[in-house]
Amino acid sequence: MTENGGGGPDVTQDLRVPWEEDPGDLYEHAPCGYLTTLPDGTIVKVNETFLAWTGYTRGDLIGQRRFRDLLSAGDKIYHETHYAPLLSMQNDVHEVAFDLMRADGERLPILVNSTLGRDPNGMPRVIRTTIFNASERRGYEKELLAARRAAEASERRVRVLQQIVADLAAAPTGAEVADAVVRAPGPAFGAASATVWLADPDRDQLAAVAGTESTALSGDDIPRGSSRVIAEVARRGDLHVVGSLEEAREHFPELATTMRRTGRATVVLLPLTAAPATDPAAVEVLGVLGFDFAEPRELTDSELRMVRLLGHQAGQALDRARLYDDARRRETRAIFLAGTTRALEVEPRLMPRARMLVDRIVPEVAEWAAVRLQVGPAGLVAEAGGPAPDPERLAERIAQVLLDGEAQLTDGKEFDAECAVLPLVANGRALGTLALRTGPDRRTAAAEALFLRDLADRAGLALENARLYEQERAIARTLQRSLLAGDLPSDPRFAVETHYRAAAHDLEVGGDWFDAFLITPDKLAVVVGDVVGRGIDAATTMGQLRSAIRALASAEAGPARLLERLDRFVERVESARMATVAYAEVDLSSNEMVYACAGHLPPLLAEPGGPPRYLLDARSGALGSRAARQARIEHRTQLVAGSRLLLYTDGLIERRNRRIDAGFELLARTYAGKRDSPLPGLTTSIADLLVGKEHADDVCLLCLALGTEQRLERMIGADPVQIALLRKDLRGWLVAHAVDDESTQAVLLACSEAVANAIEHGYRDNPLGQVEVVATVSPEAVSVRITDRGVWTSPEPGGARGRGLQLIRQVMDQVAFDHDGGTTVTMRRIRREARR
Amino acid sequence: MTEQWVTFAKLGRADLVRLAGEIDLANAPEIGREIVRQTGRAGAVVIDLTAVSFLDSAGVRLLDALVGDLDQLGTPIRLVVGATGAARMTLQLCAFRDDLLATDLDRAADELGG
Repeated sequence: MTENGGGGPDVTQDLRVPWEEDPGDLYEHAPCGYLTTLPDGTIVKVNETFLAWTGYTRGDLIGQRRFRDLLSAGDKIYHETHYAPLLSMQNDVHEVAFDLMRADGERLPILVNSTLGRDPNGMPRVIRTTIFNASERRGYEKELLAARRAAEASERRVRVLQQIVADLAAAPTGAEVADAVVRAPGPAFGAASATVWLADPDRDQLAAVAGTESTALSGDDIPRGSSRVIAEVARRGDLHVVGSLEEAREHFPELATTMRRTGRATVVLLPLTAAPATDPAAVEVLGVLGFDFAEPRELTDSELRMVRLLGHQAGQALDRARLYDDARRRETRAIFLAGTTRALEVEPRLMPRARMLVDRIVPEVAEWAAVRLQVGPAGLVAEAGGPAPDPERLAERIAQVLLDGEAQLTDGKEFDAECAVLPLVANGRALGTLALRTGPDRRTAAAEALFLRDLADRAGLALENARLYEQERAIARTLQRSLLAGDLPSDPRFAVETHYRAAAHDLEVGGDWFDAFLITPDKLAVVVGDVVGRGIDAATTMGQLRSAIRALASAEAGPARLLERLDRFVERVESARMATVAYAEVDLSSNEMVYACAGHLPPLLAEPGGPPRYLLDARSGALGSRAARQARIEHRTQLVAGSRLLLYTDGLIERRNRRIDAGFELLARTYAGKRDSPLPGLTTSIADLLVGKEHADDVCLLCLALGTEQRLERMIGADPVQIALLRKDLRGWLVAHAVDDESTQAVLLACSEAVANAIEHGYRDNPLGQVEVVATVSPEAVSVRITDRGVWTSPEPGGARGRGLQLIRQVMDQVAFDHDGGTTVTMRRIRREARR
Repeated sequence: MTEQWVTFAKLGRADLVRLAGEIDLANAPEIGREIVRQTGRAGAVVIDLTAVSFLDSAGVRLLDALVGDLDQLGTPIRLVVGATGAARMTLQLCAFRDDLLATDLDRAADELGG
């Protein structure tokens, strides 16, 4: 074998050592343990090395113990489940790790190799085992594992912190920053719980705003000057670790109490700091993050570096959020002020405007607000939200603010520190006060001083304007009422019915008016007019024109001359220019009417037996008009007895969503439908039908009923209220025909009873039924026929209804009932003159 | 609602009920309820009808029921009506008892008070 020729040892044979190697000594003192056992593990042979490592004597082991008896409890199971089956299957096992229990009870980490020897029949005969001491190797492994775990923990911390930093960058408000920060200590350091306190510069305190455990947010705010640990950390601006309960007890007893209660062993308190780029030394503490551990926990240097980093990142995020907050608040406030100013303008009246103001302030700006105005004997108060502050203390402060005109942005006393009182000033005069309570969750009034002063200034001006408006409106309304309330003439030869309806929202007085007066005992003038504009000017102008017409009307002049004089009048009274007037004079002895319209809507005339028609003659321009025809004309027309003339203002027929001709048509139709209605209540019911409740403009109506009809024909609805109106009409008609008093009373009673009977019984199931009344008069008698289309039922004798019918029979000379598709009562009363 | 037709006062020991205007089917039930509400425990009642300008059978029904109730309670009552006029006419036509009717308010109150 040439390969050995190099002089090197031939490794195929043992090298001969220069001393005698004793195989027994080699066995006993080999650098590993030897065990020989029976197949059941009973130790039959063991070497010295094994005994030295384990502390057993040969006598302890040989024939006494099995190998598995020497193993730790867990390894005994492993021996049964892995080692033994593996050995029996493969005849050998390698490098199985066990913990061997030494004689002194200590563990000895070992690595085991075993071979199974079998007899010629293949049955297990002997197990030979070598045992290596693995103490050091196991130590390396542990270190490796620890190092890997540390690396993993560090990586996890970095990941958590990266996530938090990303969250912080996206958090636009302090509260959201706090929410992001409070989530960090758990995953990053294994903290049990965490809480964030934020500095409230307005109140110079720290408030708990976020916590992983809701119990931590008990809402107790910590003044910055307090001796509590949070305040201390905020003042010092540096990380503070309270390592044990004892340490806490020594310096911060209240923290120790909390730690004991919540079962915490270590508490870390981290200030959240920001420093301006221009001056890194000027560190500002914007909050404090506290987190804690149930077990005593020592933070490594790298962990402490991470914690500090978290504090800086969070502080910067808070600083950013604060700037963002400021900008956003300024914007919100500006929008609020502009919106409030606009909203108040929409509501011109004082009380609703004050109401709207407090309703806007709560809850947008404050939790409670009240406007008090020194208007009227009792003053006005509008209040919203709650709870209200102590009323007595508030009254004192309001008095003080009204006296010196200075806003009080805080009470300065404990119980209402959050309540501010500001004067509402307009034209150099304190009109009242605005009091509000900002509430603990908002910025203080002092911090909002600029905004609140601006709000109070605008409110003061808006409320003063409303007060002036209200004052003017009240004067105008009073003036108008006094002008329209004058007594209208009455005479058996004519009757006048009027109606005035103010605009639904009653904003401003209009310039509509009506008038009726006797120029001479035989000449009646009726007027409806409309002055341009609204408010107090319109009301006074209306009064001047009304007086002018009364003064200028004369027996000789006539309507055209009157209008010419009014044209001259408006040359001097400019506010009356462009006023419109419908004017008519009626000669009561001849029933001749002369009328003229100066820019006004045409009168509507209903004559007996014909449809109503508009009087379209005698038209000329509005008073003082420069564009319209100057020449004033009038028209003369003969009226028949029973004619009804309607004068009205444009509010009756003009609608924004309706053409004017449709309005004319509707009025004519309504008037025709009402031509048989009693005159009393007629103008009201026409206004009801044409303008309803939601009308935007004032409406004025005047209806003149002329002469006395020989035959009175009326149709009334099945409503008891109508009976009184019919009676009024009928009474006028009877008086006009000079019917004697006793007969008049009798006819009124009989008619009332007959109509009541028709309504109460005939139409008891039909509220839409109609009752027709026809009355005629002759020199001898008055005859009345009352017809309904209802159901007739015979009265019980002596009953209430019987009494009504009995009365009819008693007061009338002839009575006949006819039941044919309804009931017709025909009755006649002989006049006193004819009884003789 | 009913103040324009009925007002209440004291006249000596009696409750005074003043009726005014036109009393008919439209307002009589409501006036009746108001009178019952106001005079429930009166010692005596005087009803003044001198200002009534019209009275129909519904008004008569109201007075009739009132008189019936008060008679049952033993409460004295007088109706004061003018010597002429609508109320007098209607009540006479309905044959109200003479002892109920009076023309002078104070005398009626005195009679009840004595």
